Amino acid sequence: MQSFSYTIKDEIGIHARPAGLLAKRAKEFQSVVTLEKDGKTAAATKLMAIMGMGVKCGDTVNVTVEGADEEAAAAAMEEFFKENL
Amino acid sequence: MKDKIFGILQRVGRSFMLPIALLPVAGLLLGIGGSFTNPTTIETYRLGSVIYEGGILYTVLDIMSKTGSAVFDNLALLFAMGVAIGMAKKEKEVAALSGAIAYLVMNTAISVLIMAKGGVEAMTENSTTSALGITTLQMGVFGGIIVGLGVAALHNRFYRIELPQVLSFFGGTRFVPIVCTVVYLMVGIVMFYLWPFVQMGISKLGGLVLNSGYIGTWIYGILERALIPFGLHHVFYMPFWQTELGGSMMVDDNIVTGAQNIFFAELASKSTEVFSVSATRFMSGKFPFMIFGLPAAAFAMYRAARPEKRKAAGGLLLSAALTSMLTGITEPLEFTFIFVAPLMYGVHCVLAGLSYMLMHLFNVGVGMTFSGGVIDLTLFGILQGNHKTNWIWIVIVGLFYAVVYYFVFYFMIKKMHLATPGREPDDIEPKLYRRSDVEAARSEKAAGSPGDVTSALILKGLGGKENLSDIDCCATRLRITVTDIEKVSDSLLKESGASGVIHKGNGVQVIYGPRVSVVKSNLEAFMDSPQSNDLDGVLGEAPSAEKPQPQKKNAPEKAAAIRMYAHLNGTAVKLEDVGDDVFSQKILGEGIAVEPSEGRLYAPCDGEVDSVFDTKHAVNILSAEGVEVLLHIGIDTVKLGGKYFESHVSDGQKVKKGDLLITFDIEAIKAEGYKVTTPFIIANTDEYSVIEPAAQGKITAGSEILKII
Repeated sequence: MQSFSYTIKDEIGIHARPAGLLAKRAKEFQSVVTLEKDGKTAAATKLMAIMGMGVKCGDTVNVTVEGADEEAAAAAMEEFFKENL
Repeated sequence: MKDKIFGILQRVGRSFMLPIALLPVAGLLLGIGGSFTNPTTIETYRLGSVIYEGGILYTVLDIMSKTGSAVFDNLALLFAMGVAIGMAKKEKEVAALSGAIAYLVMNTAISVLIMAKGGVEAMTENSTTSALGITTLQMGVFGGIIVGLGVAALHNRFYRIELPQVLSFFGGTRFVPIVCTVVYLMVGIVMFYLWPFVQMGISKLGGLVLNSGYIGTWIYGILERALIPFGLHHVFYMPFWQTELGGSMMVDDNIVTGAQNIFFAELASKSTEVFSVSATRFMSGKFPFMIFGLPAAAFAMYRAARPEKRKAAGGLLLSAALTSMLTGITEPLEFTFIFVAPLMYGVHCVLAGLSYMLMHLFNVGVGMTFSGGVIDLTLFGILQGNHKTNWIWIVIVGLFYAVVYYFVFYFMIKKMHLATPGREPDDIEPKLYRRSDVEAARSEKAAGSPGDVTSALILKGLGGKENLSDIDCCATRLRITVTDIEKVSDSLLKESGASGVIHKGNGVQVIYGPRVSVVKSNLEAFMDSPQSNDLDGVLGEAPSAEKPQPQKKNAPEKAAAIRMYAHLNGTAVKLEDVGDDVFSQKILGEGIAVEPSEGRLYAPCDGEVDSVFDTKHAVNILSAEGVEVLLHIGIDTVKLGGKYFESHVSDGQKVKKGDLLITFDIEAIKAEGYKVTTPFIIANTDEYSVIEPAAQGKITAGSEILKII
């Protein structure tokens, strides 16, 4: 299992657009990517669940990645967060 | 089309193997037991002091004979169940049960009609029989086969059926025996009226045979063989053996009628010098092809089998050949090729007919108790002496027949690529899937069906295929035993539609409600498919930017379409024309958009507000059917930070179709430089096979806008 935390810097948080891109990216990997914030979790492939978390600027999201290609997936996820959020 | 029929015939032939594998054993029991408990045999060889009714040896032989015939008497039932098992794709045990039920129902329906007509006496002689105590029409194995094939077809069609919630207990596999009962009740009625015509045709042929000499004997032989698959050979030859159709004769001052009766009367008479060939012509012909011809054909099949399968095929063929040779019970051998190679069976019939004619020509006078194996040949031919029976011609013709059968069968199999035992293609047998197979299967259907996605989620939630040791279900729960409970993910299981998950040691119960038997069937079907080795391939397959709309036409279940209704008044716009990549390339999912004419967003369906964005420009709704809906007012309007938007609902609130969700100020938003085009996105697009616009142009809120299947 791989995990990392990321504090959202984008001032409007994870809204529809980044959520869609995030889900798309997460689907490219075999591993299960899970987001967690304040006890609420969501599978990164589930668009509505991500949006439902209501992640805003300054929130810290814990991302866990578990599966066969977890290292590559975790790296890609981290990169995605840094670039987009 | 021709290939398809051929393929089906091959599967049918293979499905016969299970019941056929039993026949050699049953044949030996019947052959040995039957011959030595036959009063004529005992009397002729003066075995009465050793084998007598009530004695130990007699009782043992009688048990052998009776148990053997129990199998043959119920062959139709064995075929009804065996063929259903063989042809069913999944859940074979249900097909077996349904086969048995359908067979009972069909015969009972016939039985009632027979009674209504006035009982057995009112029917044509020899046209009825008793099957499992039910008086019914003599349909032989054919009766079992039409049950087996029909049940398998119904089973494959219905074993995953989903019924409305109230009736869902009767859905899935439980529906199969129900539908089979209803269908075969009707089949029974139809057969009652149809089958007698088949029987009548056959008995007409009998009369023809008797009046046409050697050619008649030949035709008799051909027909006798040709009727075997229909179980009608008894109906056909018994009149010749037992009634005046087979001739009548004075033996020791008594008039004896029927070919077999004449033979045994002559056998018992001390004054017989030569057995009457006019009687034995209906019997002797069996010896050459049963003792020599068919075993040679079995050898040809063995030689033609693929080397790696030769050993397995050899076991079946050797025992079948021995049975034919010793006891004259040929069905085990004949059924191995009759359905995979009907033409070859045709050739066999012609040759068998010729055998009868040759025996007639050479004046061979060997009779039999019930068939033409070595046992009967020894007792009624060799031991009687050649001067009485001319039995030596059986061996001469037989050796010639062995050569002919061997070469004819070998060349037909090779030239026509017939799938006799040991030559079957591997497609039905379980095999290891290679990567290329998986890809082929995936390109065939752009993404898994909804059932597959659910199954993939379940499988993943349970820690993968390797983690499962046992799957079962009760009325509402999937019950699974896993090897490692740590690998089970409740959240994934709930995502698959489960309403709850219970752990107990290594047991997991996943609660789905009454539709669980369908969930289980889908899961098992999925586990046998190549996709189950690539769960994430199935789960991750979203419509990507490059493929705007993959055609997901693969939807085995006839799920009812879910309808969505317009969320605004305005003009419908295709998602492709929204002019924003994230929406128009469908990264968020399939859907449609509306260019609003009024700043009021309405609920498009009954459901629950999953979340309203803090910025109030978008709302997620989970519909009652489980559709995840995203309504997003305007493009990039997140940047307005909630300005000009007012929400009338809150997270978790239940809404009805047409409830006002959000009001917004179109003009003000436009003045800020943003478009107000409002996409209607299905966030869980992956779970559906078809999402298509149901409207274009002007639209009013509440009219149908999307169709989802």
